[in-house]
Amino acid sequence: MHALSSYLILSALLFSLGLYTVITRKNAVAILMGIELILNAANVNFIAFSKFVTHHVEGHLMAVFIIMLAAAEAAVALAIILNLYNDHGNINVDEANALKR
Amino acid sequence: MGAHLLTLVTFIPVLGGIIIAFIPREKLDAIRWTAVAATALQLLVSFVILGSYDRMNPDIQMVEHYSWIPAFNIEYFMGIDGLSLPMVLLTPFISFLAIFSSWKIPKAQKGYFSLFLLLDTGMMGVFVSLDFFLFYIFWEVMLLPMYFLIGMWGGPKKEYAAIKFFLYTLFGSVLMLLGMLALYFSLEPHTFNMIILRDAAPEIGQKLLLGMNAAKVIFMLLFVGFAIKVPIFPFHTWLPLAHVEAPTAISVILAGILLKMGTYGFLRISWPVLPSATLWFALPMAILGLINIIYGAMAALAQKDLKKMVAYSSINHMGYVLLGMSAMTAAGMNGAVFQMFNHGTITAMLFMLVGVVYDRAHHRDIDGFGGIAAKVPIYAGVVALAWFAGLGLPGLSGFISEALCFIGAFPVFTWITIFATLGIVLNAAYFLWSYQRIFFGPLNPKYENLEEINKRELWTLIPLAVVVIFLGIYPAPMLDLMSGTLNQLVDIVKTAGMMAGF
Amino acid sequence: MDLTQLALSLKYFIPEMVLTGFIVVAILYDLFLKPETSHRVGFVAIAGLVVTLGMLYQQQGIPATGIFANMFALDGFATFFKWVVAIGAALAIWMSLDTKELENRRVGEYHILILILVLGMFLLVSATHIISIYLSLEMVSIMSYLLAGYLKENSRSNEASVKYVIYGAFSSGIMLYGLSLLYGLTGTGYISEIQAQLVLGQVSPVMLVLVTVLLLAGFGYKISAVPFHFWTPDVYEGAPTPITAFLSVAPKAAGFAVLIRFFNVALSQGDPNTPSWLALPGLDWPMIIAVLSAITMTVGNVLAIQQNNIKRLLAYSSIAHAGYMLMGVVVADQTGIAAILYYAGVYMLMNLGAFFVAIQIKNIYNTETIADYAGLGFKAPWIGIAMAVFLFALTGLPPTAGFVAKFYLFRALVQFGDGFLWLAMFGLLNGVVSLFYYMRILKAMYFDKMEIPEKLTAVPLHFNVLMFILVVPLLVGWMFGDPLSIWAAEAVQFFF
Repeated sequence: MHALSSYLILSALLFSLGLYTVITRKNAVAILMGIELILNAANVNFIAFSKFVTHHVEGHLMAVFIIMLAAAEAAVALAIILNLYNDHGNINVDEANALKR
Repeated sequence: MGAHLLTLVTFIPVLGGIIIAFIPREKLDAIRWTAVAATALQLLVSFVILGSYDRMNPDIQMVEHYSWIPAFNIEYFMGIDGLSLPMVLLTPFISFLAIFSSWKIPKAQKGYFSLFLLLDTGMMGVFVSLDFFLFYIFWEVMLLPMYFLIGMWGGPKKEYAAIKFFLYTLFGSVLMLLGMLALYFSLEPHTFNMIILRDAAPEIGQKLLLGMNAAKVIFMLLFVGFAIKVPIFPFHTWLPLAHVEAPTAISVILAGILLKMGTYGFLRISWPVLPSATLWFALPMAILGLINIIYGAMAALAQKDLKKMVAYSSINHMGYVLLGMSAMTAAGMNGAVFQMFNHGTITAMLFMLVGVVYDRAHHRDIDGFGGIAAKVPIYAGVVALAWFAGLGLPGLSGFISEALCFIGAFPVFTWITIFATLGIVLNAAYFLWSYQRIFFGPLNPKYENLEEINKRELWTLIPLAVVVIFLGIYPAPMLDLMSGTLNQLVDIVKTAGMMAGF
Repeated sequence: MDLTQLALSLKYFIPEMVLTGFIVVAILYDLFLKPETSHRVGFVAIAGLVVTLGMLYQQQGIPATGIFANMFALDGFATFFKWVVAIGAALAIWMSLDTKELENRRVGEYHILILILVLGMFLLVSATHIISIYLSLEMVSIMSYLLAGYLKENSRSNEASVKYVIYGAFSSGIMLYGLSLLYGLTGTGYISEIQAQLVLGQVSPVMLVLVTVLLLAGFGYKISAVPFHFWTPDVYEGAPTPITAFLSVAPKAAGFAVLIRFFNVALSQGDPNTPSWLALPGLDWPMIIAVLSAITMTVGNVLAIQQNNIKRLLAYSSIAHAGYMLMGVVVADQTGIAAILYYAGVYMLMNLGAFFVAIQIKNIYNTETIADYAGLGFKAPWIGIAMAVFLFALTGLPPTAGFVAKFYLFRALVQFGDGFLWLAMFGLLNGVVSLFYYMRILKAMYFDKMEIPEKLTAVPLHFNVLMFILVVPLLVGWMFGDPLSIWAAEAVQFFF
């Protein structure tokens, strides 16, 4: 199999797993992990394309930026989820429904 | 020309409104008299306009023409001709009198008179604008105060009436906006100038829009906007409600002036700019006029509420206008515009008289009175005059204009006209029947001590009555003002129609 | 990219650097303040924004330039949005100064976060590379999450922020995946080079449609277009009201800026400076956006009708307004884009105004329920009149600038020809629907309790000044030459 396709299939799998996690899980941290999977799927894409298509370092740089950003986002998200925990005693997003639909 | 008479006549009221906004709300008399002063001044200016109007010249006069938003070729373009002049006279006249009939408005008088004057500016602006964009701005500006005037000072179902009025008219005006934009883009360079659009009518008639004739599409878009205002059946359902719930003076304005804006819009824009579509739609328009006449009269006949009856009589009376203006004859067209003016004065009387009795009896149930003629003879006399004017008695102004409408329509829409005369009979029926039930027969003991009409009320009615009688006997001055322009309008539509193969 | 180029770019980066400087100053200043005096950071923030605006003014007339190795662009288009964003931020901070919601807490960070958010939006509106787009988008988002949850003892605020962060991170992740695919398909990250690759026509249209849909998830979430709008009502209701006001205006405008830049540069053929530039063949994104626009405005308006909470109602109305603005994206030519710019400017004033009245009412009566507004028009006549102006402007009725803004949008659609007349019709009828719920607020204020109660004096003077600043341009700003429309038209000319 062509090397690029295998990476793309890996990233597509990661993306789908992430999507599935976000949609099915109720635990806020698990949802966050799903989002991380999606970001990493994109990272795999960037690096694979960089290696096999553009032969340029640009894609690697983007991946580094995204890793940094994912860390920042996770920090903020966890802080916010901690507030949720303080209110509800758990981090089940379904119970955060005080704001009426 | 340099006097900016049209700008003055338009913006004097709103200046008065702004002054009122700064008068403390306790100083009731100052507020009222400022409103009187503003409308009186407007009336005065309208007389000056009448004095300097050249009735031999059918084209637009007293033009004020400036570039306004050059990027979009939007102009501040005002002017009047024989079509707008009657309305320019009618608006301040009715507004001035309506201020007096709102003298005793119960609460928040400051807001009331401010909004009233803003409304006045909006209406006047519609009648003097010759740039479609400007026209549209005034058309919409008038909605806002109307919404508040009905919704705040109206009857028990005021909120519903106000929002229904607002939604209906806004619905109409957004379609109008679309039609206006389509017109704007139909010419190169793009313009909202109604005179340029009129002169380019044949070119617009050739264009295509959505695969159809552009003129017809635009005509229909504008039609909905104007038809809701007139109101043409089946767009009329807002009207009885709004009229019944509005305070007296606002009903007067609504029926006396606002309804005219619809027919004015047709004659100012649809007719000259889209003549081929106008001829194409003339027959449906006449049929709609007939429906208005018959339906309005039948519905009026069925009402128990006096004010509602008067409201439906407006639908009936506007039917004559539609019939007259769709005939494309000189007599019909003159009759239609004359009827617009006459309906303004007559219906103002009707609503004011209903207001007078409502203020005393606190109900408007036709069957709830009975035999009060003996108690209030002067009132009964004035009502008789107004009612007769409403049913089109010869010698009163309504007769002349209705007759002209029929004379003009008869050669063109013979059968429709014959059926429409049936409306006159029904018309007479509901006016006479209601008069009989209220004033004759045994006296209802509840009204042993019914108060007679007071001086203020009487003096608001007398000017209207004078106009109605004068124009009934000697209509020539008014017809002279209009006929030049209107005959020209008929020619324009007919010539263009000839070219389009009708 | 060598250092001289970097130094050259810095010359074009002065407003951002000034803003960064003020952020640092604000952070340091905050260290010396007690909690009860920490609101003074707000003055520093406003001062910083004013100086930044001055620097932006200095930049007027510079021809469109790419800076930092073309990662960002300096052009009239970006500058216009920077003005909108910075003015909106200054007004939002002003509104925050006396808000009861923020009483008795340290608010230093609050103002600092707003400044960083502004910096993020400055970058976002000028980003021209997929990674700079993504990073600045995230910068805006993360600050928004924090601000939405600023009242951390308030469970509603927390809930808003949790929902925001989850929806936000999720949709930006999806967008990132789309960007990574686009990078692979074209082999470049610069949006202008992406366009150059795409017009060659070697990329399969199916992939392009997929990428477009993935990207729309990210952009659509930022401008709260249906179906990416679910976070909007909850976040708007839960967040502190000045933040809601700000979020409904500035990030939305910035989102539109990047959406327009991306779609009209990367996914079009031909030069964007020609009067009509077309979508790529095989990818009819104007139609996709037209459908999105129609759905967005309808859903926003229909759901707004049922709301009883003013913030929630305005949240749904802001969804509807996103739908209106999308109409301009559909046209995708100079007039359409200029109309969006104009709309964004006017929308900032009118929506901030409506929220501002909500803040005042909340301060005085501690209520967000529309029914509690009964009789307000008489208790506080000036607030009442101002609210009427804002609501009429939001409905799009003359004589307010709201009408003119809508008029320009419809004008662009009608000018486009027969193709999108249906959308214009849709938009106009939606305006009628929106009238219904905006007037419900006015009905409560004026019709429901008509009496003359004691007058209200609790409104501080500087709030009235602010209200005046918001009302006057809406009423008379467009009547005299309409400078905003001229500016908007010029801003599009320099489209990079």
